Amino acid sequence: MNKQSLLYTVVFTFVVSFVFVLFLSFANETTRPLVELNRELARQRSILAAMGIPFSSPEEVQQQFSEVEQLTRDEITLFRRQIDGRTVVAKEFVGAGLWGPIEGVLAVTADLERTIGIEIVDQNETPGLGGRITEDWFKDQLRGQRIVDGAVRVGSPGDGDTDPDGGVMDAITGATRTSESMGVILRDELQRLADILNGGNV
Amino acid sequence: MSSPSAILKENIWTSNPIFMQVLGICSALAVTNLLANTMIMTLGVTFVTALSSFTVSLMKSLIPRKVRMIVQTLIIAFYVIIVDILLRAYLPDMSRALGPYVGLIITNCIIMGRAEAFAQSNPPLISAWDGATSGFGYMAVLLAIAFVRELLGFGTVFGFQVLPGSFEPWIIMVTPPSAFFLLGIIIWAGKTVMNREGAAA
Repeated sequence: MNKQSLLYTVVFTFVVSFVFVLFLSFANETTRPLVELNRELARQRSILAAMGIPFSSPEEVQQQFSEVEQLTRDEITLFRRQIDGRTVVAKEFVGAGLWGPIEGVLAVTADLERTIGIEIVDQNETPGLGGRITEDWFKDQLRGQRIVDGAVRVGSPGDGDTDPDGGVMDAITGATRTSESMGVILRDELQRLADILNGGNV
Repeated sequence: MSSPSAILKENIWTSNPIFMQVLGICSALAVTNLLANTMIMTLGVTFVTALSSFTVSLMKSLIPRKVRMIVQTLIIAFYVIIVDILLRAYLPDMSRALGPYVGLIITNCIIMGRAEAFAQSNPPLISAWDGATSGFGYMAVLLAIAFVRELLGFGTVFGFQVLPGSFEPWIIMVTPPSAFFLLGIIIWAGKTVMNREGAAA
């Protein structure tokens, strides 16, 4: 058989592609449930982390998350749970960062008196600068921060603000634009939450 | 033509894909800011290089000349997607951290280079070994870069804090340009030692 003939070349290419792709589709289909489970677990983990609920194992994540109520208001999904006698509401958000979207979860008390926490799910900010929004010291500033006039301001670097009643969190040195973006995201999200929470019974 | 140990020495040292052939530089800059990411990425590349060389060698007498490189690319892409699927299913956090770079293993010149230069004209097992050792050569250089970048950029080694808390991280080590400097230093050092060996011999 002439292996350089046109017919052989076409048939060979077709068969080889078919066999390899068939195997790949099979591998993809078999792992699909696992991939979806991972994605759902990652989402639950972020929501619990924003609400300040501790967890260690995947089983614990699912168990803790089963106690979180999901409700839909104005086509927006909210997550609600009683924590230490307070009603905590969390909402997933996407906002504009410096290089790309910043995705995360923001949790507040239902009376909008304080923020409970924030978790960054995805971001493309400059590593080591804006990318530090994922670090605990930055996120922990929103643990129990008072919401003043419907917002938490991101203050410019300077003296710093460690008072959780001030309604101000510290920006990141060297990441002015990302810090500004976070300020805008917080303001918009708190506004959105206020619209929903004041409009209906949550 | 060459013994396994000669291939090992050649791929790790005298014709190391990174600092002698200067191939696969893109990922050397992109994924080396943390040792753990680098480890998984280089294991992925080693796996793909070994198995694609093996498969190319196995099929070489069947592949028509006209579509040789297309078929090689298909084989490489096949193994890369397998790695991607495995990471997504079993190491989701790693898969997120590496992002598009897993898919970009397909375009890593080392793999195509070994398939063309070695697997095309050698038996399957020795081709797989040649691919694997090329991967080890890549791994050795990338881990060296990642070690310095993670140590100075985060103060950690494989995620463990080793430098005191008072250490101020070097932001440049976290960003890709630092890999250029480190790679340059490694190429310089490697060639200097090699020239000295050559002069002695």
